[in-house]
Amino acid sequence: MGEGKPAFKKAALALNGGPTDELVVTLGCQLAMKSGAELVAIHVIEVDWSHELSDELTEENEAASAVLDQAEGIAEHFKVKISGDLLQAREVAAALVDEAIEIGADAIILGLPYRKRFGGDFAIGGTIPYVFQNAPCQVVVAREPMPSAPRVEMVPPAVKIATPVGTGSSAGPSGGLSGWSLRNRSRGNGRKNEEH
Amino acid sequence: MKPWLHGRRPGDRRVRVERPHAQFFRYAGPGTLVAREAASAPRTRTGRFLRDFRHVLLGRALSIHEEIEERLTKKKALAIFSSDAISSSAYATEEILRVLVLGGTAALFLSLPVAIAIAILLAVVSTSYRQIGYVYPNGGGAYAVARANFPTIFALIAAGSLLVDYIMTVAVSTTSAVEQVISAVPTWNDWRVEIGVVAVLLIMVGNLRGLRESGNIFALPTYLFVGSALLMIGIGLMKVLGGEGVPPPNPVPGQPDPLEPLGILLLLRAFAGGSVALTGVEAIANGVPAFKPPEPRNAATTLTAMAILLAVLFIGITFVADSFGIVPIDFPATRTVISQVAAVSFGENTVAFYLFQAFTALILFLAANTSYAAFPRLGAILAHDGYMPRVFSFRGDRLAFTSGIIVLSAVAITLIVLFQGDTHALIPLYSVGVFISFTISQAGMVKHWIREQGSKWRLKLGINGLGMILTGTVAIVVFLAKAPTSLLVAVIIPLLVLMMLFIHRQYEASARSLKVRDDIVIPPPRREERVIVPVPGITRAVVQAVNVGRSIAPDIRAVLISDEPEAAAKIRDRWEKQIPDVPLVIVESPYRALVGPLLAYLDVLTQQWPDDREEPITFVVIPEYVARSWWERILYNQSANRLRAALIGRPHTVVVNVPYRPEDVHDVDGAEVIPQTQPRPS
Repeated sequence: MGEGKPAFKKAALALNGGPTDELVVTLGCQLAMKSGAELVAIHVIEVDWSHELSDELTEENEAASAVLDQAEGIAEHFKVKISGDLLQAREVAAALVDEAIEIGADAIILGLPYRKRFGGDFAIGGTIPYVFQNAPCQVVVAREPMPSAPRVEMVPPAVKIATPVGTGSSAGPSGGLSGWSLRNRSRGNGRKNEEH
Repeated sequence: MKPWLHGRRPGDRRVRVERPHAQFFRYAGPGTLVAREAASAPRTRTGRFLRDFRHVLLGRALSIHEEIEERLTKKKALAIFSSDAISSSAYATEEILRVLVLGGTAALFLSLPVAIAIAILLAVVSTSYRQIGYVYPNGGGAYAVARANFPTIFALIAAGSLLVDYIMTVAVSTTSAVEQVISAVPTWNDWRVEIGVVAVLLIMVGNLRGLRESGNIFALPTYLFVGSALLMIGIGLMKVLGGEGVPPPNPVPGQPDPLEPLGILLLLRAFAGGSVALTGVEAIANGVPAFKPPEPRNAATTLTAMAILLAVLFIGITFVADSFGIVPIDFPATRTVISQVAAVSFGENTVAFYLFQAFTALILFLAANTSYAAFPRLGAILAHDGYMPRVFSFRGDRLAFTSGIIVLSAVAITLIVLFQGDTHALIPLYSVGVFISFTISQAGMVKHWIREQGSKWRLKLGINGLGMILTGTVAIVVFLAKAPTSLLVAVIIPLLVLMMLFIHRQYEASARSLKVRDDIVIPPPRREERVIVPVPGITRAVVQAVNVGRSIAPDIRAVLISDEPEAAAKIRDRWEKQIPDVPLVIVESPYRALVGPLLAYLDVLTQQWPDDREEPITFVVIPEYVARSWWERILYNQSANRLRAALIGRPHTVVVNVPYRPEDVHDVDGAEVIPQTQPRPS
């Protein structure tokens, strides 16, 4: 992501209805605003083996669709072109990378949540390492701010990037995005929803 | 069916889930959807054509999120808000001279004292408006000030005056701009009305496209005009000091002495004419929220700068015109006073002269444009308060108040045509409205200070009180001196006030009748329902309407109005065989009327209803054929339209249209076939 060179032309935003979604979308929009890049918000519903992959998971689909719609709402504020992509797969990470390849994305942006329990730690899970190892494009991880980190007010759309990011690593605090919650309150049926 | 997608590894399969709503709506929260542009897209070919045409003319539709609110710096605000006031210096001197010239050449020397008197008035008014900016930082238009301090009627008088003011700003600024053009190119004199009309139409289209006043392009003409006008005055002064001016003439015997009664009247009329220079002074106080913080202070500074600039330009132009004995020329073509001053200073037909004329025309067109922000906004506020039709508060595709813009343009164009593009003829209408709104807002401030008091309130009260007395006096002087044309305003403003009161009363009445108490739980309907289906015979459309009627209530009957008893009898036979569970009532109509007998039948049903039971709701279910094109609309549904028009507003009656489309065939397909009776062998 050198100076004067667009960060990407098309980025896949990995969303899961978790606390880092708005961070991921905002970051994607801020980067895309500069270069006029296109964003594709991807939500993968992980289908366990008790269901067929193509089963109608109405409740999950509605919740995931709402997450994608709200991501589009944020992108509208930034005047960034975005589309939503809702998938069902057995494994989130593989589906994410495969979809990113298929849509021709040259960047994948994921969120890394911070868990306050047990003294607090970043929940890196399995998705991020898989994407690091298998994505043929650049990977950007936006970490959730730690409770002690200073919060930066963001005023769309004239915001400057307030979220230092690392390529292939986590870094930096992020802004307060009150009122833009993308959290999926109706996560259903105990289905797995690993942090992307 | 979900499309299957394969990943890089054999087991990595995924399916894409279709999101059918995504094309038209975006989920925004529990139970809330946001419509996308596609949801508003027209579905017919004609609609799409009109949409495309509108997009070419006005630009693509803007979302409310695309509204830009830009705060203005003092320099930019001075240019944008002052164009109306500063541009009036282009014709104010001329208005003085047009009156004084009637008193002979000796009276012309009074133009400078009159201009100075108007400049003093300007100082008082602008000081008063500075205070309004501080007290009403949300935009202290005369309407807002009057609404806060006086009974509604005064606020409406202020609103009416402002509406007239804004309309006149468009008409006067445009005609004056055209006169500047004609002064440079006299051969265009015959086209003055047409040029004015086209100019207004162009400004209208620009504003319907959502023209933003905040762009630098709007600041440029003001500074170009101010710069070139100051240069022109400077050169003119140097020429006067160099002895090039015309010496003041000696009084000619027989001409009125300016200090005699006739002369005083002349002087007052000259003052009234020149006071048009003050129009537009209120714009800055009205636009305080558009300034960068601290808004009131920046607005006050800008207002002072504007008043000083206007006074310098006005007095300077008057002085140079006076020094060179310049008077307005109307024949063979219009030569405005300012164009003659420019010719004296820059030289006739020089590049500088033409440039100055262009800058003058530009600032005048810009002044006309300022009303396109103010008039629709005031219209929207009045509509919001229930004093104007609600359509004035609706914003079009480009976030502009479309109705206000169109009405403003239409009235301004009418005035330009009626007055043949003559600025001088329009000005009497202009000044009266402006000074009425000045007076009301100053009076409102006087009441404000008496009520609120606060620090140095007596001084502030004194300033606004002086402003009120002066502007009120000038309003009376202008009204009397500009009679009989000014009398029109005395008719127009009360008419506008009456119209606004009438609209408000209507809205209040409808709101009262529609109000639902907020402390009750709405019970389900208790009244009985019956269905009437007017039918012309048995068709697929009728069958569909009857089926819809069956789903509404079991008490259903079809009514056939016919002037051919034999044909009606045949229809009854067929009806009883094919739709036996719905009774058919045949109403013979020997006078061939359709609507009247049906209404009479409904009245009879009502009269027959038992008195001890609440009257039922009557659903009149009208079958309609869906017209695919404009010519089909002529061919079909004329009777249905007449019926609907007659039934709308009938008590306890609901009209249900059941459109039939050729693809709606399922209602009759698959129906049981009536066994045919074999004819007996003879």
